Amino acid sequence: QLDRGCALHTAARGGLSSVSSQDVPAQRPRAIFHTSESDPAKHTEQHEGRLYNIPLEEVKAVFPHGLPHRFQQQIQTFNEARVMVRKPALEILAYLKGSNFAHPAVRYVIYGERGTGKTMTLCHVVHYCSRQGWLVLHVPDAHLWVKNCKELFQSSYNKDRLDQPLQASVWLKNFKTSNERFLQEIKTQKKYMWGKRESTEEGRPLREVVEQGLARVRSASDAVGVVLREIKQQSHRGSFRLLVAVDGVNALWGRTTLSKEDKSPVSPEELTLVHNLRKMVTNDWNGGAIVTTLSQTGSLFKPSSAYTPQELLGKEGFDALDPFVPIPVPNYSPREFESCYGYYLERKWLQHEKAHTEDGKAELQFLSGSNPRQLDRLAGPL
Amino acid sequence: RIMPVRWSRYNPSYLEPEAKKESYQKPLEELTEEEREHMELKAVRPIKAAPPSLSSSVFSDPMISKFTNMMMKSGNKVLARSLMSQTLEAIKRKQLEKYHKAPENEKETIECNPYVIFHQALKNCQPIIGLSNITKGGKTYQVPVPLTDNRKRFLAMKWLITECRENKHRRTLMPEKLSQELLLAFNNEGPVIKKKHILHKMAEANRAYAHFRWW
Repeated sequence: QLDRGCALHTAARGGLSSVSSQDVPAQRPRAIFHTSESDPAKHTEQHEGRLYNIPLEEVKAVFPHGLPHRFQQQIQTFNEARVMVRKPALEILAYLKGSNFAHPAVRYVIYGERGTGKTMTLCHVVHYCSRQGWLVLHVPDAHLWVKNCKELFQSSYNKDRLDQPLQASVWLKNFKTSNERFLQEIKTQKKYMWGKRESTEEGRPLREVVEQGLARVRSASDAVGVVLREIKQQSHRGSFRLLVAVDGVNALWGRTTLSKEDKSPVSPEELTLVHNLRKMVTNDWNGGAIVTTLSQTGSLFKPSSAYTPQELLGKEGFDALDPFVPIPVPNYSPREFESCYGYYLERKWLQHEKAHTEDGKAELQFLSGSNPRQLDRLAGPL
Repeated sequence: RIMPVRWSRYNPSYLEPEAKKESYQKPLEELTEEEREHMELKAVRPIKAAPPSLSSSVFSDPMISKFTNMMMKSGNKVLARSLMSQTLEAIKRKQLEKYHKAPENEKETIECNPYVIFHQALKNCQPIIGLSNITKGGKTYQVPVPLTDNRKRFLAMKWLITECRENKHRRTLMPEKLSQELLLAFNNEGPVIKKKHILHKMAEANRAYAHFRWW
């Protein structure tokens, strides 16, 4: 009871609910879990534990491929996208606001146990950067590039490497949706030959390279490589800021489940996509930042209890990413749990009669261990 | 050597385990005479082992556990329980989407609680009267017979599960099929309700043989 009282005072200062339905006075104690501040740049510690709304058109424009599947289902059911503002995200935003872009890009590695909200933190940061007008290079899950690949072709650019046309074309399509205006502004600085007859001249907008990759699926991986190279070379000029957001960065340095035609295993360096992405994640360029997430869920040949950078990246990956800023993401604090529980109640997601009681709430907290994913899974059937 | 406990016959002196939290939180003064005697008995008599399906959770429901057990194949309770939870979630999502799109005056009529829908659907599927085979004079007759509550519940659940397993497209997943069936049964439509009506009609048609029943 006391906690709600204090929270009401801060709410009076911080702005109340933005829910468009009528605010019946009995609902006021629940409405403090929302905040009407939908610009991540203005989020501070005052907003910690509250949920902010992202308009649905923005979701389609900024996140064509970044959000977790269950969150997308939730957006469709509730007809709104609400993201919780948490401490790790606020930390990264503070670092980004105060960083000097003349220095080499700083690497941030978000790590934590399974289901604590690393991908959602990354999405919060991506939303902030796209609102600020940065160029966002968002790789939704690097693990998708090292497993379950149906077609592997030998790269025409370099005989040792292997191409992945499907994954590359999917990524190019989503990249185009999220960064329309930058593709028009950035010009190529070199002439690129796609096979014997087609080429892209110097000074053409990057949009043409992307369209070339989408039209000729065979050369999609090379198109991706060209795009990454151009963006990296031009980022230090200062006309735009670059954010490299990679989810599941430990895939770049592990093993793959793919094999060549003679059944020999493929190591990640032999894939063009992984090779080019590794070059992006090194800190030899300036004018932006690199925010990455470790993920055990999609990883290959790693035990399920592994969550620290040392275990998941291995020696090679750790040396490649060193030095980085580690950002741990913990389970929900009691305040964040209250906020999430209140949101589910308000949206009528918790329908069971006993879920509205104190006993039910205590049971949910105990069973989920304040883990966001477990709470979501438990609240589903209730 | 493992001693089998659950399906062996307990000595009649063994008492049932009590799982509900409320019964242990009552102070001594509030108990009635029988409850005090029961407490004293529990101090002396041994207690049976608690079965794994007995839970002290406020969210546990005996009908749902029965249904999950019937859906289970070769002892895979984990899979059966996850399918059940996915079904309830699917029902909730469909109803919530309908709820948010409906105009204000219709919002109260839409039921969003998956447990209410489940219970109501089961009640709608339960037959009132059943048929049993009675052999008289060399011929077997289908005789209309009253059913016990347990038998009615069992038949309703069995029909729902067999309907979902057999008469649907091969590639659809069980939660999707089950949620669709439960929503249809909730509105008194669908193949299971039809089967119940056919059974009732058969019983009505065979009314003449009702006197063959001797119990």
